[in-house]
Amino acid sequence: MLTRKKLGMIASRLLQALPIAVLATFVVYSLMQLIPGDIAVTLAGENASDERIAEIRELYRLNQPFLVQYGSWLWNAVQGDLGVSLLTREPVAETIARTYPTTLLIVAYAIVLSVVIGVPLGILAASRPGSLLDSGIMSIASLGVTVPNFWFGMILALWLALGLNLFPATGFASPGDGLGTALWYATLPALALCTNGIAEVSRQLRSSLVEIQSSQFVRTLHAKGLSPASILWKHGLKNVGVNLLTVISLLFNKTLAATVVVEAVFAIPGIGSAIVNAVLQGDFPVVQGAVLAMVATVIVVNLVTDVLYTVLDPRIEQA
Amino acid sequence: MNEKPNPRLTANGFAISRRNFLGLIGSTAAAGMLGFPGQLIARRRGTLIVGAPADPSSLDPATGGAGTDHVFLYPIFDTLVEWDYATLAPRPGLAKAWHYPDPRTLVLTLQENVRFHDGTPFDAEAVKFNLERNLRDPRSNIRTELASVESVAVTGPLEVTLKLKEPDTVLVLILSDRAGMMASPKALQELGERHDRSPVGTGPMRFVDWSDGEKVVLTRNEHYWKPNRPLVDGIEFRIITDSATRLRSVISGQADVAYHLDGRQIPLIERSRQLQLVTGPTIYCYQLYLNMSRGPLQDVRVRQALNFAIDREAFVKATMAGAGEPAYMNLPRSHWAYDEEVAKLYPYDPDRARALLKEAGFSNGVELDMRGYSDQGSVQRQEFLLEQFAQVGIRGRFRTGTIPEMSATYFGPEKGGDFLLSAFTGRPDPSQTYALMYLEDAYFNAGRVPPPPGFLEALLRSRSTTDIEERRQALSVVQRIVMENALVVPLAFRNEVSAASARVENMRSNLLGKPKFEDVSLQDT
Repeated sequence: MLTRKKLGMIASRLLQALPIAVLATFVVYSLMQLIPGDIAVTLAGENASDERIAEIRELYRLNQPFLVQYGSWLWNAVQGDLGVSLLTREPVAETIARTYPTTLLIVAYAIVLSVVIGVPLGILAASRPGSLLDSGIMSIASLGVTVPNFWFGMILALWLALGLNLFPATGFASPGDGLGTALWYATLPALALCTNGIAEVSRQLRSSLVEIQSSQFVRTLHAKGLSPASILWKHGLKNVGVNLLTVISLLFNKTLAATVVVEAVFAIPGIGSAIVNAVLQGDFPVVQGAVLAMVATVIVVNLVTDVLYTVLDPRIEQA
Repeated sequence: MNEKPNPRLTANGFAISRRNFLGLIGSTAAAGMLGFPGQLIARRRGTLIVGAPADPSSLDPATGGAGTDHVFLYPIFDTLVEWDYATLAPRPGLAKAWHYPDPRTLVLTLQENVRFHDGTPFDAEAVKFNLERNLRDPRSNIRTELASVESVAVTGPLEVTLKLKEPDTVLVLILSDRAGMMASPKALQELGERHDRSPVGTGPMRFVDWSDGEKVVLTRNEHYWKPNRPLVDGIEFRIITDSATRLRSVISGQADVAYHLDGRQIPLIERSRQLQLVTGPTIYCYQLYLNMSRGPLQDVRVRQALNFAIDREAFVKATMAGAGEPAYMNLPRSHWAYDEEVAKLYPYDPDRARALLKEAGFSNGVELDMRGYSDQGSVQRQEFLLEQFAQVGIRGRFRTGTIPEMSATYFGPEKGGDFLLSAFTGRPDPSQTYALMYLEDAYFNAGRVPPPPGFLEALLRSRSTTDIEERRQALSVVQRIVMENALVVPLAFRNEVSAASARVENMRSNLLGKPKFEDVSLQDT
């Protein structure tokens, strides 16, 4: 299935992505310059004098012009060196390696939950369009969009963790310590994050299914005597696959952004917290590195989505 | 579609009955409640797990800069001089004795049989290495603390003699802080910058690991020099910046202690039967830093009006849930250098404030450029102050931002703002506090205004005598000058609020406000 054509497509998409990634880091770097405040002051500490602050600027080469600093960061990044945190001297690559998988696990888990809960809800609603069941499910799904993640996370923590003792209230375990443990710690954060996804998946699925069910070819199949169940399964779902995939792909981006607040509620050392702290303190190597990692991920996810499109629906031709 | 729905198409589209589904959920829940969690939290029974509010800036005492670092540093590094938890008076540490043969010489006699975590001996050479490094290394942030030291000499295997440029009795308590934290010279030389992340000291705990923003792991120093210490197998600091989450981690049993909590959480802690409330006064002081070189604040009467305009008792009740002490000067009541007479200078008196403003030519009120931080607690304090100020005709709005941002804007070269609502974390010795805030080139003196006459002499007097009563008198003069000239507007001292689980024994708060765990033990469950 991996034809030369497909490989060529993948390669060209990756090449196109490169300037996008560079541009993203440049935009982020420029934005950071606009933030008032001076990391040299933070680094100099509580007892700093003006001379000490100037000294720190010399020491860490913070007084070089904007483009020179960005240029040297880019040059190093291209060679694989993302630098070290200005504040803690931890290599940025290590920070990302340590925090990103944590966040990705929770995001993936949240998306799985969104699909596992959202798809059945959508099918259920579509099975009786226009009924009370349908509007009921869709209303509950809408709640999912409006409920704030951090509030819901705190409710879950108070009820399921502190109240019923079913899950830990804070913290994180890495899959290295056992996949079961990792998932157990990640459940409440993932639940807090998946509300939006459930809403989107179920709504999308429901409207696509309803649309298909009233389409020409389904009516033909019906006339041929196929049961509604097999129509739904064999033909309906396969056709909505593309829409569903699109929703999931967009959901990934949204959920990645939303993890920041959930990380705070559950004290999870993920990339969201790392970025927020770095931005607040002006620690730009960490911000740049993390942004690069996230941009790369989004690009890869989009690429995978595009490839899956062609698998699901051969009618879609990729240039 | 008008036909009946196919009965095989059930709720999930799967062939699962409702009963089976509930059974599945039920058994998972049961597994959860049957101690499944307990086994999976693989915790060594004797490790103290502490919820900390901030990541350290560096685990090297000389290169770090945040007041929140000390809690991590104390277990790793002993200090030459220690301090009394309640009054902050000095006590022997790695230096078991010290004396001033003359006002410009300080002799330290060191504790014997002490080793660093890497096995190298702690001796006079090590002390000399550390002090010189603190003075000379370009990355050292504490050079000014040892500014009076001219030379450090090894005058015996366990004796160090410091020659001073001028009399300096503050040095003793300075050596109870970062400058007195002793790191292994071998490690410093071999690791260089990497010592920031791999510290080696003589303290009760050895360093194991630091994951930024996540945790700092320490383990027991088996060869610690103090008998019967430490009492726990290790300490694991978990960085949990949100205070509600930090408290939750103790309630859920995932942590043993959480410190730097908020006064508003006290009822929650007291209500919970599994938690102990550990609280006490500290020298951490909310205050207005004034830039006296610009605008209306150049006039002492305006500054005095600010001081009279605030009902500090109400401030503590309204913004700190009562967990604090009104501050009428830079030191709290229990401090050894507190002066009650100075504290009486500014009772709450809005009429007096209005009269002073009128005298200064602002009978129609005055507009000030106010700065502050944007977190919830700070905003609440700002709202309180605005309300009080409005009553006497002081107008303005607070411009807010994050702590690093606003500190840099106010204290840094930009010098933005007439005053900044912030806090001072306090220093081991009061004369440090006054030097850091009011000397002409002091960082916290944003306007770089020279102090009033008499200040410098009194400050130097407080540093040149070892007699504590004479020091107290000199510091009283300093404090009186500060408050009569309204060089600052102190608001309130914050109480330390910590929560500890029932297993924790001997957790006490201290006046410095930076928790220490050296005497803490864990009961067997």
